[in-house]
Amino acid sequence: MKRATDLAGRDIISARDFEREGIEDILKRTAELESNPGLVYGSQKGKLAALLFFEPSTRTYSSFQIAAERLGMKVSGFAGPSGSSVAKGETLHDTVRMFEGYGTDIFVIRHPKMGAARFAAEVSDTPVVSAGDGSREHPTQALLDLYAIRKAFGAIDGLKVGMLGDLRYGRTSSSLAYALSNFDVGITFIAPDALQMRQEVSHFLGQKGVKPRTESSLRSVVGELDVLYVTRIQRERIPDPTEFEKVKGMYEVNREALREAKPTLKVMHPLPRVDELSTDLDGTEHAHYFIQAAGGLPIRTVLLNMVLGGAA
Amino acid sequence: MSKIERGTVIDHIPDWKADTVTKVLRLDRQALMESNASVAILQNVVSKQLGRKDIVKIDSWRVREKDADILSLVFPGVTINYIEDGKVTKYRPTVPDLIEGGLKCPELSCISNAEREPVVPKFVTLKPERLMRCHYCDTLIGFDSVPEHVRT
Repeated sequence: MKRATDLAGRDIISARDFEREGIEDILKRTAELESNPGLVYGSQKGKLAALLFFEPSTRTYSSFQIAAERLGMKVSGFAGPSGSSVAKGETLHDTVRMFEGYGTDIFVIRHPKMGAARFAAEVSDTPVVSAGDGSREHPTQALLDLYAIRKAFGAIDGLKVGMLGDLRYGRTSSSLAYALSNFDVGITFIAPDALQMRQEVSHFLGQKGVKPRTESSLRSVVGELDVLYVTRIQRERIPDPTEFEKVKGMYEVNREALREAKPTLKVMHPLPRVDELSTDLDGTEHAHYFIQAAGGLPIRTVLLNMVLGGAA
Repeated sequence: MSKIERGTVIDHIPDWKADTVTKVLRLDRQALMESNASVAILQNVVSKQLGRKDIVKIDSWRVREKDADILSLVFPGVTINYIEDGKVTKYRPTVPDLIEGGLKCPELSCISNAEREPVVPKFVTLKPERLMRCHYCDTLIGFDSVPEHVRT
């Protein structure tokens, strides 16, 4: 993903594939779109987006749906498995083939299995954008996370980013780590051993010369951080319920936990939150998560437009 | 076992590791499919090169080169002798860049383990580190643990 035009007709499967130049280009276009929202309205008129969400979603589904509609596209598909043929046992393979037969111009796929988006991209000649697959990745979330960081600090280089919570089963933190590896940042993974970052993520970062620090406690590192990225415990993905019981409620980020933080620290969260992020932070200067979430729409509008060959 | 006229001899297996070879090559399964195949296992045989080694001889069955290549992930020094009409042809297995089929991803949530999805598991090998990465879910597997991930 080097230049904007490179994205035309391409799949967006993994933040591993992101390169700095491509990221910068997307962030720049997103900022332009935010300042001039009508820039791309109707630019993909008459095209069809299939949003296939094999796992329920609110934010991601809605933002892709609105993005596609703003581009003038028709949207088909489903927002969750219930009520669709998936509930009857239809496979990802057959669902993709079927929608391709309907003349779909772009797929946006969320699936509970890791690597599902890559498989869908192999099955289909139509571009596939991953909207999250299992606990592996959520590449478009990583882009909106970078956009939110850039918005808060004006730059990404030089920052210290802590990722806290369920790093093992949370897909947003792995994608963000991959994306951040293109910048000169310090990364700290803060989690109990059972929820520490997966081996393949650390391995990839190592190959790119990034050596993240690992901590089990927020207290020991909070004073150094510019960004604290909090994730919820992915109860639905932890195979052993006793493992969940051991770690649930282990972290709660609230005003007290941030007592020693820099005043400029920004707290981010991919949402939805459960009890790991207190509402007592909502009115503070630290709270950046709603601004972060709002970036999902322009980022996804830009991405869909670029993959479909749009100029802006 | 009488002299093999057609079959495969797997040589230079580290001593006492022949059972790993039978596991990786799924010889029990192959034997079911090829009712004529018989297998002789020689263990702790004197070897100039290795000191001691194991040998597996299979009569009436040719081990696929693709499977021999997977075996070389675990035992890099292993050599294969194919016998056809009594004539021997040597094959030196090499670690492929991409392994398609044969192995199963240990990550149960990987799409390659999804029921009824027509996915062939694929692994990209990272040779200097003796690791391979699942093409779909990126899970890393050490070459040495390949026997645990053979598809049954």
